[in-house]
Amino acid sequence: MWELFIIQPLTNLLLWIYDVLGHGPHMFGLAIILFTILIKLITWPLNASQVKGAQAMQELQNDKDWQEIQKKYAKDREKLAQEQMRIYKEKGINPFASCLPTLIQFPIIIGLYQSIIRALSATPLDMLKLARTVYPFQNVANIIPLNSKFLWMDLGRPESIAIFGFALPTLAIVVALTTYIQTKLTMPATTTPGDQSAAMSGMMSIYMPLLLGWFALNFASGIAVYFIVSNLLGIVQYAATGRANWNNLLPGGNKKAPAKK
Amino acid sequence: MKMKRTTLVMLFLLGVLLLSACSGNSRTIVNTWPGLAADDARAYLSAGSHVYAVDVKNGSEVWRYPAEADNAMQFYAVPVLTADGQLLVGSEGTGHAFFSLNPETGKENWTEPFTGAKGKWVAAPLVFNERIYAPNTDGFLYTLGMDGKQAADPIELGGALWSAPVTDGQFIYVASLDHHLHIIDPANGTTGDPVDLGGAIPGSPAATEGGVYVGSFSSTVEIVGANGQHESAATTTNWIWGSPTLDGNTLFYADLSGNVYSLDIPSGSQNWGAIQPDGPIVANPLVMGDQIYFATEEGSFFALDRDGKTLWQKTTGGKIYTTPVVSGTLVLVAPYQGDFAIAAYDGEGKQAWTFTPAK
Repeated sequence: MWELFIIQPLTNLLLWIYDVLGHGPHMFGLAIILFTILIKLITWPLNASQVKGAQAMQELQNDKDWQEIQKKYAKDREKLAQEQMRIYKEKGINPFASCLPTLIQFPIIIGLYQSIIRALSATPLDMLKLARTVYPFQNVANIIPLNSKFLWMDLGRPESIAIFGFALPTLAIVVALTTYIQTKLTMPATTTPGDQSAAMSGMMSIYMPLLLGWFALNFASGIAVYFIVSNLLGIVQYAATGRANWNNLLPGGNKKAPAKK
Repeated sequence: MKMKRTTLVMLFLLGVLLLSACSGNSRTIVNTWPGLAADDARAYLSAGSHVYAVDVKNGSEVWRYPAEADNAMQFYAVPVLTADGQLLVGSEGTGHAFFSLNPETGKENWTEPFTGAKGKWVAAPLVFNERIYAPNTDGFLYTLGMDGKQAADPIELGGALWSAPVTDGQFIYVASLDHHLHIIDPANGTTGDPVDLGGAIPGSPAATEGGVYVGSFSSTVEIVGANGQHESAATTTNWIWGSPTLDGNTLFYADLSGNVYSLDIPSGSQNWGAIQPDGPIVANPLVMGDQIYFATEEGSFFALDRDGKTLWQKTTGGKIYTTPVVSGTLVLVAPYQGDFAIAAYDGEGKQAWTFTPAK
């Protein structure tokens, strides 16, 4: 199932883009960038609903009814859950709307990683798997093996640049940085003391850059290219909604009110 | 709050686990099929952390190299026995070292292995005129003396080199994944214009007088002369991985659709109709006497006669990608992820022994 519905389509899509680009040096990196843009376009409505859902959830924290049931049923979790569901229903909020795009990203990330490794075929077994992955209508005999060079990187290997004898993992740093910026920008301003949602977002802004930075540090640099492009597009998309909280990038900035247009 | 923090940490660990688990390209663990060679006394298997020497009389382990697993050495290139009593094998792992072992003892012959290549070793070397020609995945052909010292400047051919070079007695032919066949004059190290075969060439050519037969991902078997002139000898329904095997005037080859072919070279016609055993074929065909052996990804090992009639068939419980080899009257197969690492069969298909390395 995973092979059929994730690996094969992603690998074939990557190969197709690479072929269309002319399959020369650096083209596989460009193929990953175009692939990422395509995925972002496809998941654009989902991301938009995530933004909307997160905003609705944030506004809910300031709702009087919501705050009231939190106090009233503080010791009865079952009843509290029932009341929360009632309010969700009344206000037309889907509490999972903000999680769905993130969940969808996970199989894409894992599938993309496997597709990159398979497409680049570092071992005979990988090459053999690739031969079986290619759809019959794709004529890829002329483009295999793929050129894994992109700028200074080998997309099939973790990236680093030697500076004064020290291997600096530049992509991993950029991945962590752009993830941090994206998470911070989407963080709502704290208006309520002890706001659980804001605290959760705060933790995400620490864990997510670490997680993705770790991936970029240890795995094929092609996946790091995906992360960076995806983050940059995410930032652009969020900024386009006018809800990006640029103040969050400053120390203590999340205490201020978000800029709204 | 504590619960949410725990959930995030768990998600982090799950993500790490998922990506780690799906990594098909671990930097230290080899994940591909083994290499196999044999003489009349021993079989030599390069499989993961070790090269094993196995007694062909009974399938018992004689030695393993290195004695203790070392991530700097991972083996799957086919070992090569030389006339002067060396066993040559390259490694993957962090070291990218190319070794000469004593086939009797498993001890290193050279004062130190050759570590001048930038890539891993997938291909077996060619020994010709007291020189070792070792193709590497970094796209260079390294020329070593029999003492392991570099005897000439490496020749940059381009693309990853996965298959052993062959010689027609005068020129050396090296196939590359970058679709080209390179023809080298070992007398002066010069290379002619590379011959574009239209697809990756993961298998070795088969040498004939004044040229080679070679299959590629272009689904064509080409005959290429020493001057680089080439023409199609036959076509297949899918990509060709393994080397063709030349036996007199007959050329045996197979493709990834699992078709096996027997080409009568003088007439250019096929000796038999469509034969498609049970799965993709990567391993080279092997001819022993009047029997032709094919091994499939399904783990089946077939003996055919010259008319294409199946004489016997064995299943190994794994996938066979490694080319079978002959040792005396036995034929040896090394399945990947099989019930055993090597199995030995006689000409009638009777299993003589199996070998599974002790932990």
